[in-house]
Amino acid sequence: MKEHYKHILTLVVLALPSLFVLWGGYLQEISGHVLLFMIQGYVAWFLLYKAGQPFFGYSVTMSLGAYGTIVLTEIYHWPILVSVATGSLLSCVVGVGIFLSTCRARGFYVGMASFLLAVLFPKVVDALKPITGGRNGLYFDGIQAVVDPNTYYVILVICTLVIVGFLFWLMTTRTGQILTLIAENDELAQTVGINTMKYKVLAYGIMGLLSGFGGALYVNYTGFISSVDIEVFTTIYIYFIPLLGGSSLCYGPLLGTLIVILLPDVFSGVERYQRILFGLIFVLVLVFLPKGVGPTLERYAKRLTQGLRRGPATAG
Amino acid sequence: MILTGLINGIIMGGILSLPVLGVAVVYGITGIPNFAIGLIGVFGGFVTWYFLSYNLVLALIVGVGVCFPIGYFLQKLLLTPISNKGGDAILFFVITISLGFVFEGLTRAIFPRPSISIALPYLGSFTVGGVTVEVIKLLALVFALSTLTAIRLLEIHTRPGQSWQATSRNLKLAKLVGVNTDRVYAVAHGIGCSLACIGAIFWGSLYNLNVLSGWELGFLGFIIAVVGGIGNIWGGMLSALLMGLVLSFSGYFLDGNWQSVLLYAIVITVLIVSPRGILGSERAL
Repeated sequence: MKEHYKHILTLVVLALPSLFVLWGGYLQEISGHVLLFMIQGYVAWFLLYKAGQPFFGYSVTMSLGAYGTIVLTEIYHWPILVSVATGSLLSCVVGVGIFLSTCRARGFYVGMASFLLAVLFPKVVDALKPITGGRNGLYFDGIQAVVDPNTYYVILVICTLVIVGFLFWLMTTRTGQILTLIAENDELAQTVGINTMKYKVLAYGIMGLLSGFGGALYVNYTGFISSVDIEVFTTIYIYFIPLLGGSSLCYGPLLGTLIVILLPDVFSGVERYQRILFGLIFVLVLVFLPKGVGPTLERYAKRLTQGLRRGPATAG
Repeated sequence: MILTGLINGIIMGGILSLPVLGVAVVYGITGIPNFAIGLIGVFGGFVTWYFLSYNLVLALIVGVGVCFPIGYFLQKLLLTPISNKGGDAILFFVITISLGFVFEGLTRAIFPRPSISIALPYLGSFTVGGVTVEVIKLLALVFALSTLTAIRLLEIHTRPGQSWQATSRNLKLAKLVGVNTDRVYAVAHGIGCSLACIGAIFWGSLYNLNVLSGWELGFLGFIIAVVGGIGNIWGGMLSALLMGLVLSFSGYFLDGNWQSVLLYAIVITVLIVSPRGILGSERAL
């Protein structure tokens, strides 16, 4: 199937959860969480696999958007939309700042600096307890004070579609192609005269902006955030999303989010063994399906369609 | 105040050096950043606690002894094959984090309590410069220093030690001269996990151990190792002592949360300014 059609199909599948509004309840609630993490998953997919930048601080950028929104609205009484925009911009600036300060290091060390930032950030939130609420968190009505939950849910679906659609579109543009070239061979890109620094700053800026906006959507959806929600495991889960689903495919993060977010629910009956099963599945996928679940499913689907085509032909 | 801060800082450095040993040994020889090592160590700590009611020596042997084969077989059956297929640091990072989930889950599933305190016999305390020091805390520092010295002596004077050094410095050359590098990696990982377990036992006797402590210990070990120059075991020790002093002196004017923030901020600054740490990361002990 052509990439173009895969993009459209992915967006159609992403729009399907809006139907849950008809039934409401658990399906709507869980699919909302899936969508919120899918935004982060697609952002990670873009920065890590399309722009080739090793970054592990997604929980930091996400929580800057979330805390920016909630603190500005609740404590400083800014209008909600202005708070969302400011929180997202703050996340964008911090994302670029992290890159600029770590760009002296190479590969693994860049990743580690951002990972340690993800470990540090909840501690900063705890230390700033009078403002952030620390582990007790902050409660928030947000946009849901103005619109009803169903309308906000539809807004969430639309925002997810717009973000994912934007990233798909971006990768088809010249900027996207240059980012792919930088991901594949940074030195070659520099040799042919591309200002790689400029494009990397752009990639981190986009990541920060979208991840922060995703965080703002998150806090408006859940109505609560605490330092527990942004612990280092959040960044690990976000990082795993494209990795498990299939980083090479446009629908990889979609599959990855379903695995990462829905697995704990699947194992809720065996809560005592949940972490073991969770970890084992991750290890097995990483070892035996290094390209992720998506490419394997695609291979089986191809075999199946080939078999079906051959079937009638042989019969004829 | 300065003397008190200095003594407290050195003692704290000794405690902080415990989680570093395992991380530094494993990374120094195998080049693999194992983020599950803290969880494996804590698993061993829980095993020790479980057998403590029978006999102290038996409990220590079983706890530390369980961690060696865990590390050995993890390296031999999982990490070496991935390394041979060209796995990079990022892949090892995600795989060992996943393994961390498995060991956290195992500790949760096997042991009846989520939080324990390992009651070692009380060894007394003494006073230096007006500061009361518990002997067990001093023992942690002595243990860390003697482990470093023992490793260094092993490297210089024994054949297995020389093969460790050869493997960590030049894998291809080590293979060429007949060193069984796969075995060296597996043994190093086993020793690293056992050291992590000893660290967890000390930690559990001074503070508490819970099913999540392994993450904190692993990250702490890793950040201290990074500041010293990850893989450089002497750098790790120096860094632990410096961090101990920072924590001790900052305790006069910062609360616990801000002390953690300061610790991590220093590490991130070191990573940004000098990514290879104080003594340089050289992937050799």
